[in-house]
Amino acid sequence: MTAEEQFNNVDEGDVITGRPFTVSRDTIQAFADASLDYNPLHFDDNYMKNKFGRTSFDGVIMHGMQNFALITRTLTDWLIPRGGFHRRLETRWLKPVQLGHTITPVVTLRNKKKTEKGYWLLFDVEVNNQDGMLVATGNAMAEFLDVIPGKR
Amino acid sequence: MTILDLDDFETDFWKDVDKRATWDEIIPGELRDTRPVTLTQEVIARYAKGVGEDNPLYFDEEYAKTTIYGGIIAPPSIHILLMFACTTTEDWMRSPGTINAGQNWSYHVPIRPGDTITMRGTALDRFIRKDRMFAVHENTFTNQHGEVVCTGRGQTIRPA
Repeated sequence: MTAEEQFNNVDEGDVITGRPFTVSRDTIQAFADASLDYNPLHFDDNYMKNKFGRTSFDGVIMHGMQNFALITRTLTDWLIPRGGFHRRLETRWLKPVQLGHTITPVVTLRNKKKTEKGYWLLFDVEVNNQDGMLVATGNAMAEFLDVIPGKR
Repeated sequence: MTILDLDDFETDFWKDVDKRATWDEIIPGELRDTRPVTLTQEVIARYAKGVGEDNPLYFDEEYAKTTIYGGIIAPPSIHILLMFACTTTEDWMRSPGTINAGQNWSYHVPIRPGDTITMRGTALDRFIRKDRMFAVHENTFTNQHGEVVCTGRGQTIRPA
């Protein structure tokens, strides 16, 4: 299929719900081993009794970039089978995510945009926790391409 | 060229803590100390597994060859790993208490096994808002062909 055909096969308003993710010490360890981010924010209960400027946390927190990786997976799980190339992800972390919390990314295909040379998709991103509270928001872009950049 | 060895990484983020720039010492425009790293297929597969990326495009060469990608690529989010892999124990992004406030990344060329990735990292800005000390950083990752593979900007709240 051409990029144009792939572009025509997706619809504005499509909603993509990611896999729910529950935070545990094991998931934090696995993410640290993958990302090499061993900040004590994610491991050290005693350290987390401190105040951080005006912020205090109720125990260790999930890596912010774990959220980024989960949103990325939600996007690419949907995009790759449809021929889409992930181009951009912009995020804001609104609330810390703690042990035992379950978060779920939800991505909405807000706009399709044909430019002079490209076929673009614009997404809104929200991540909610188990109480329906918004913990992160963002925007993403993807493109349909006939050739993958840099391919040799 | 340094093959990235995940088992040879300093996981104690308190080590060299006194050598890292504090908010007062972060100078916008000053380059962070970085080193190039080469990503093997094994490192890419380990990263993918660790973040729950189970698309075989990231670890199954026979399958990946049949796709438009023509071979294994790394998950786009692998810059999360590269940021630590390419910096030193004295880098301020390791400072205990560094809180991520948000990130913007754009992806240009997929990273593939055997690629040697170079990082250019700097602070763009620092500011104080609601009594919190923020730094804005910008990272550019380039492959051995001189192609920019991805670029990113983020905000962290710096430890007091």
